[in-house]
Amino acid sequence: MMMANGMRPHPVTNTGERLLDVKGLTIEIDTRRGPATVVDGIDLHVDHGETLGIVGESGCGKSLTMLSLMRLLPNKIKVTKGEANFAGRDLQKMSNADLRKVRGGEVGFIFQDPMTSLNPVMRIGQQLAEPLIYHRGMTKAQARKRAGELLRLVGIPGPEERLDAYPHELSGGMRQRVMIAIGLACNPQLLIADEPTTALDVTIQAQIVDLVKELRDKLGMSVVWITHDLALIAGLVDRINVLYAGTVVEDAPVDALFANPSHPYTQGLLASIPKLTDERSARLSSIGGTPPEPGRRPKGCPFAPRCPLVEQICHDRVPSLKGIGQAGAHRVACFVAQRKLEAASWAPNR
Amino acid sequence: MSTVPVTTPVETDIEPPVSLWRDAWHRLRRNRLAVFGLIVVIILASTAAFGPYLTPHDFLSQDLGARNLAPSMSHLFGTDDLGRDVFSRVVYGTRTAFLVAVVVTFIAVLIGVTLGAMAGFFGGLLDRIVMWLTDMTMSIPNLLLVVVINASLKSPIASWMESRYLATLNPIYRETVWVDFLLVFGSMALISWPPYARLVRAQVLSIRSRPYITAAQALGLTNRIILMRYVVPNALGPLIVAVSAGLGTAMVLESAFSFLGVGVNPPTPSWGNMISDGLRVWQHYPHLLAAPAAILGLASVAFSFLGDGLNDALNPRGAK
Ligand SMILES: Nc1ncnc2c1ncn2[C@@H]1O[C@H](COP(=O)(O)OP(=O)(O)OP(=O)(O)O)[C@@H](O)[C@H]1O
Ligand code: SF4
Ligand SMILES: [Mg+2]
Repeated sequence: MMMANGMRPHPVTNTGERLLDVKGLTIEIDTRRGPATVVDGIDLHVDHGETLGIVGESGCGKSLTMLSLMRLLPNKIKVTKGEANFAGRDLQKMSNADLRKVRGGEVGFIFQDPMTSLNPVMRIGQQLAEPLIYHRGMTKAQARKRAGELLRLVGIPGPEERLDAYPHELSGGMRQRVMIAIGLACNPQLLIADEPTTALDVTIQAQIVDLVKELRDKLGMSVVWITHDLALIAGLVDRINVLYAGTVVEDAPVDALFANPSHPYTQGLLASIPKLTDERSARLSSIGGTPPEPGRRPKGCPFAPRCPLVEQICHDRVPSLKGIGQAGAHRVACFVAQRKLEAASWAPNR
Repeated sequence: MSTVPVTTPVETDIEPPVSLWRDAWHRLRRNRLAVFGLIVVIILASTAAFGPYLTPHDFLSQDLGARNLAPSMSHLFGTDDLGRDVFSRVVYGTRTAFLVAVVVTFIAVLIGVTLGAMAGFFGGLLDRIVMWLTDMTMSIPNLLLVVVINASLKSPIASWMESRYLATLNPIYRETVWVDFLLVFGSMALISWPPYARLVRAQVLSIRSRPYITAAQALGLTNRIILMRYVVPNALGPLIVAVSAGLGTAMVLESAFSFLGVGVNPPTPSWGNMISDGLRVWQHYPHLLAAPAAILGLASVAFSFLGDGLNDALNPRGAK
């Protein structure tokens, strides 16, 4: 496929600085019983051109973390600690006007639910044109032309005719493609995709993943892809962060994670990937119990109540992320896993 | 940082995005009932505006030699017990009906939208107060409230006006018709705003938390654009329906009050007081009841068809 007119890969600006760098981000919800922590001092980073996968059970704080980066949290939910830097600028502190330029212009979002994330009373051509007019100063005619190109780029047949369609006139898969097109409209440096395929059936899920992969390679952007489904994104991402109850429990290059899952929770996740058949109910079946409710986090390791390897120390102290592989690229927050690897590296024949 | 090179503006015959309104109009035109409603409403509205100047007879002039005549060429709807031309009275009654309906609905929508939007937007204590007011107002039977207002305010105001007239001899204080209208407008608006408040509050609440609003924010659009292109158009459909139906309801309500003698008073013709008069003699002179009743029914049906049609037209999902 020809590269769409005007779409160019981002130049790799290797200043050593990370594109996205989140440090100690804590998010609390105001409940009737007082504030409850849902995201607990999370650390995340994305390098230029890198694709990060974020996996974790429903409710572990994936969406809130991403929304908080763009200061899009709903009313009663607040960031109470930590910082988030994008291309060296603190997103939490920047002015509203600057933030609006980042939103949509430099960071594209693809939302979880294509059925409700498009404005039902606006033609999709106009929804695509909106950010182009706003961020790129295009005229209506220019924006409409680009909107058609974007629809072609995301593989929508008859893109010019589709510009005049309303969201309800498109299938779920088509709408998801429209959402991707909107996310990509301004050629962002970072694309955040929040479970963009959960509402779709399996073959379309795979198509969407391939599409994003192709576009990423073509446009040279960084991607954060959130999912429940490790298997789905194995071929897409460079690195995976496993989230549990609002903290990163394992951070590893994708191959290392599959070859050597070190956190008991990750091991459970991998063991529960159903072979060939994608039966959602089978997911996580090998891990008993449920994650802690917000506001009722255990004092020590958040996974302790469900962990098969739990020890006394796990109840007393919170494990922090520590490098276990070469160069510290593979990190895990588990006392037992850390000790095992230390022991292994001390072994005389190693 | 990358920029998207702006393509040189080329002459294209691509049509600009058609607006929501133009689309709505296209859809409305395909809906027969809505078109019927629209035509009736337009006819009635022009009747209200120009009719009184065009009628063959004066609505007040009595012809005691021509009482209770059946419809004929010179008196299309016949004459009443004072020999007044019923057609002319119905035409003038249309003006009364529209005046009351439009003013009452306008005041009610103004109060309702303001209170409802604030309640939905700010929430908290304000929301609770507004909702309490709404429930209170809705729990009082309409007629009771209007009767109470009229009964308690009418005679003091009338006697005050009389004393002003005696003191100043200014004829303005003799114009009791306006007091009538004022009381009717005021009391009707006072009982008509709660549904608008509820509707708008619910709309604002639900639209504010819709994912497409977050998605629009994530695109970096300003609050103004989000409000104008995302919130308002999505909230508008139900409000327009409510207003359209509300106009019809206000007409019925005005007639009901006039019928009960607490609305617009004779000799100003109103469909309601004509129905009330006609009802007394309908066995002998059915046209005296039929003419105002039919036109009231027609108006109320037309407004509700138009409202439904507008709702479907403004909601693209409703398109067939
Ligand atoms: N608007 C809200 N009001 C109150 N609590 C919320 C709200 N949104 C999310 N939460 C809570 O915050 C926690 C994290 O939610 P979040 O949406 O980030 O989860 P998630 O990891 O994205 O889950 P999923 O995979 O289901 O999308 C959940 O426990 C959820 O109950
Ligand atoms: S720290 Fe302890 S409880 Fe937590 S995951 Fe490791 S072994 Fe399990
Ligand atoms: Mg989510």
